[in-house]
This record gives sequence, structure tokens and C-alpha cells, in this order.
Amino acid sequence: MIRFEGAAKRHPDGTVAVRGLDLDVPAGRTTVLVGPSGCGKTTILRMVNRMVVPTGGRVLLDGTDVAELPAAQLRRGIGYVIQQAGLFPHRRVIDNVATVPRLLGWDRKRARARAAELLELVGLPPETARRYPAQLSGGQQQRVGVARALAADPPVLLMDEPFSAVDPLVRAGLQEELLRLQAELGKTVLFVTHDIEEAVRLGDRVVVLREHGEIAQLADPHTLLTAPADAGVAAFLGRDRGLRGLGLRPAADVPLAKLEPAYEDWKLTLDQDGRPEHWLRDGRPHPVPVFAPARDTLRAALDAAVLAPSGHAVAVDADGRAIGTASRAAVVAALADEGAQVNHAGR
Amino acid sequence: MNWLDWLNTFFTDPAHRSGPDSILNRVLEHLAFSAEALALAVLLAVPLGLLIGYTGRGLFLVTALTGVARALPTLGLVTLAVLLAGVGDTAVLLPLTALAAPPLLVAAAEGVRGTDPDVRDAARGIGLTHPQTLFQVCVPSALPTLLAGARTAAVQVIATATVAAYVGLGGLGRYVIDGLATRDFPTTVGGALLVVLLAVAVQLLFALLIRSASPRAARTVHTDEPAGSPALSKDSI
Repeated sequence: MIRFEGAAKRHPDGTVAVRGLDLDVPAGRTTVLVGPSGCGKTTILRMVNRMVVPTGGRVLLDGTDVAELPAAQLRRGIGYVIQQAGLFPHRRVIDNVATVPRLLGWDRKRARARAAELLELVGLPPETARRYPAQLSGGQQQRVGVARALAADPPVLLMDEPFSAVDPLVRAGLQEELLRLQAELGKTVLFVTHDIEEAVRLGDRVVVLREHGEIAQLADPHTLLTAPADAGVAAFLGRDRGLRGLGLRPAADVPLAKLEPAYEDWKLTLDQDGRPEHWLRDGRPHPVPVFAPARDTLRAALDAAVLAPSGHAVAVDADGRAIGTASRAAVVAALADEGAQVNHAGR
Repeated sequence: MNWLDWLNTFFTDPAHRSGPDSILNRVLEHLAFSAEALALAVLLAVPLGLLIGYTGRGLFLVTALTGVARALPTLGLVTLAVLLAGVGDTAVLLPLTALAAPPLLVAAAEGVRGTDPDVRDAARGIGLTHPQTLFQVCVPSALPTLLAGARTAAVQVIATATVAAYVGLGGLGRYVIDGLATRDFPTTVGGALLVVLLAVAVQLLFALLIRSASPRAARTVHTDEPAGSPALSKDSI
């Protein structure tokens, strides 16, 4: 666990970056620091691995003040991922990833074997190992950055806007990958972003910061979206937060109706495997919006219901076979059902 | 007689084929002086330059030295060195080293300063010590710049080492200065040509070195999509 006790940072010129932060970052969970630029979130993150030395208070890592360890030794035990990946341009990908194990005194062979494992873990094909960083795409470079941070299997992972510099499509893929990795590894992750979408998507807990590193709200993503602490937080969350909150709830909450031969003027056609083909009216085909209750969110279900020309969203199983339908009314009824379980892994 | 005849005379002279005044011997003498001066300059200037570049302290020295190298009156320095140290190796080494040091110092400092700040930050953040960051991250990234500085220094030293003959030492300057003294133009022109050829050869050697020290990715064809493009197949799942 990471504990901030009145941790403060005042720059030599007198400006205050962080006024005095008290915060517990629980082990094995993902805690996201989110806030506008200049709110001190990166400074807070960098206090943990002493890239920033607090001018007041202290930071404890599993009960030990981080100031007590030599900086290099402390940092080798903490994974660190930054926005531009910061890979060493003159080293091959595999040797970039093997850096920390080598610093810890592993021999080259063992360090490289470990690095190869990690490249596979972050979803990079084996042939990337021998490339140089500049030969990779931005998204691939970030994956290497994550692999490098995980190489020595540190219990703590610090991530400073790691996905901000890649385009939205790649970012979504990387976020998905991080959720998968985190479900597998259970690291203590402290993640900094200015993107509230990213925060609610990745965080088990989200810390919304305002100026000088003051906590405006600390909550799980669902609570944050449905019950912002004040008008400032609500404004930061932006529009549609109710709708976006649905993105955290599982579509499995929607009650399904059996497939009918006809829905008023509309008729649903299936292919021979039972996958939806068309909505037909007057013999003219229309597309069939679907959702998968097993893995989609309420938001996806609502979206499918809104888009369905017949007014009925079609539910499908993992293989895409139709298993039932949900009318707009049924989906809306499910929305109102509070106390539904929050699904962080949902998309 | 035109200069082609002079060169013919120079290169066919039996005294230039073997013995102390042979071309091979003079070239080796010339290279030995130059290498010695360059090595001394590297030992003095590069560590200081690396330190200045890494810490950012003493940058004024770099700025000040950038212009000095060109303005240095080599012949004056040789004379001064002879007055101070007497005729001998030192009298030649001092001015040549003084000539080579500034470009090396500037290149070392600028090369290290040019390291991508994100890469340096990452290096520190994952637990490299300061010396490890300097030697494992900053120096490799400074290497092309450093070699470019070494090339400038080497070429200047080789061109200027001709003055060694002025204080009675060997090298290609013997041909030039002795030729002038005895109005033996074939020897003067031949010696001058050899100095030029040697400088060009060293220039080419460094060009090859710099090429091999540049980041490999910059020289290879990109086989997959460039940085930042949506890697649809892999990244979007």
C-alpha cells in the first residue's frame, strides 16, 4: 500500500504544486488520479518513486518512508511508465525490457528470457524483440514501456498519462489490455490521467483533484458519475455522465424476451446458424443492432435499442447467435434498477 | 615545368620511396603526431564535456569555446610553446591539442544535452543511477554528435600538424617547409597534396564511423506502420 501523509511540494520559486495530500492507495487495486493540467497529479505520482522529493510530509510504501531507501534501489522495485514511453533508442526492444532485471544483477540470458515472456504478456509478437523502438508504432512502444515496467515483477506500478499520446482507437485497445493485465497480475497501480473517461474506465477508485493536489472527490467510478461531490466535480465530469455511467453496468441486468415470429410490421430473419440477418418490413431489409449480455454494458444495450428500427434490441451469445430481444421499454426499466452491480471490465 | 611534372618528380624520387624521408615514413610520423594530440585532447575535453552536458553546469564554457577554435593562431602557439618548452614534441603537441579540444568539448556537451528528456526521465525513473544514465543512455545518444566533433578536430589537427616541421620535427610538413626553404617546388606541392589526401581520408573514415554509430532504426526501412498510426489489427482488439 502507498500512503501519502501530508505530502507537499513547494517549488523553490514559492509556487505550490501540492499543498498537503493525505491519501491511501490500496494494494492490488487501480487508483486513478485525474484532474485538469496543473492540479499536481504528476507531482503526486512522482513523489512515490522520489522523482520528486516532497518539501513537507512523507510518502510511505508498505509502511516504509520512501526517503529511507537509496533512490535507484527504490525505483528498481517500482514499475514506471510515462507518456512518451521513454524507451532507449539505441537498445533493441528486448534489451529495453531487460533493463531493470539487468540492473538487479540478473545475467543477460535470464533477463532476456524474462523480457521475452513480458513481450508476449503485453501482446507483442516475438519478432518485435529484435527491433529498435523507432521501428514500432506509438501503441507498440507503449506496450514495450509497460513490459519494461513489469520486467522485475514490481508490486507497484506508476503510470503517468501512459496512453495520452496515442490516437483514440489505439488508446482504447491499450486500456483494454491494461484491464486484462491487471485482472491477471493484481498490481498496486497508481495511474495519472487528465481524461475522465479513461479514469472511470480503468479505476477501481478515482481521485478527482483540483488545484494544489487537493482532493475534490474520492470514489468508485459509478458513485463518481452518479453522485459527484459538488458542482466543480460535476462540471469536470462533463455532459452525459448519467449515460456514461451506464457504461459501467452490465447488460446482463436487462430482462430478455423470447424471439417472436413478428414484431408488429417487423420480422427478424436469422441465418442457418441462428445469427440475426435483417429486420424486414415490407420485404425491405434493415440492419440489426445487437448487444451481448454476457460482456456488454447497459450503455451498449440502450444503444442497440435506440438504433433498432423495430424498437427491439437483439441479444446475442458469444458466437453471435440470437438468444432473445429487449424492447426499449424493457431496457429503460433496467436502467432505473439501482443497486445494480458495477462492472469495471465492461466496455 | 607545370605542377603535374612536379608531382611526377616528387613521387618518383627514390628518397621518397624508402628511408627516413620516404612518403610512408612521413605519413606515419604525421599520423602519430596527430593521433597523439587528438588522444590527449579527447582525454582532456570529452570527460569535461560529458559532465557539462549532463549537469548543465558550465555551459558558458561551451558557448565561449565554440568560436575560439577557429580564431586560434596555431603558428603563434607553436612559437610560444617552443619558447616555453623548448624544441621538441611538447612544442607541437600543445598547440595541436589546444586546437582539437574545443570542438570535442562542445560536441560532447551538446551531444549529451541533446538526449531526449523523456528518455532521461525514464532512465532515472526505472532506477538507473546518474553514472549509469550518463554512460548507458546519454553517451550512446551523444555518440554521433561526439564523433562529428572528433572528425572536425581530427581534420584540423592533421592539416595543422604540418607546422611540426617548423620546429624541426618530421611529418608531411618536412616536404612543405624544406621544399619552400630550398625552392624545391616539386617537394612542396607533393607534400601539400599528401596533407590534403590524408585529411580527406580521415574525413571519410569518420563518416563511416558516424554512420555505424547512428541509431540503427534511422537507417532501416520501416517494415510496419509508422509511429502513431492506428494499429488496427493489434491494438483495437
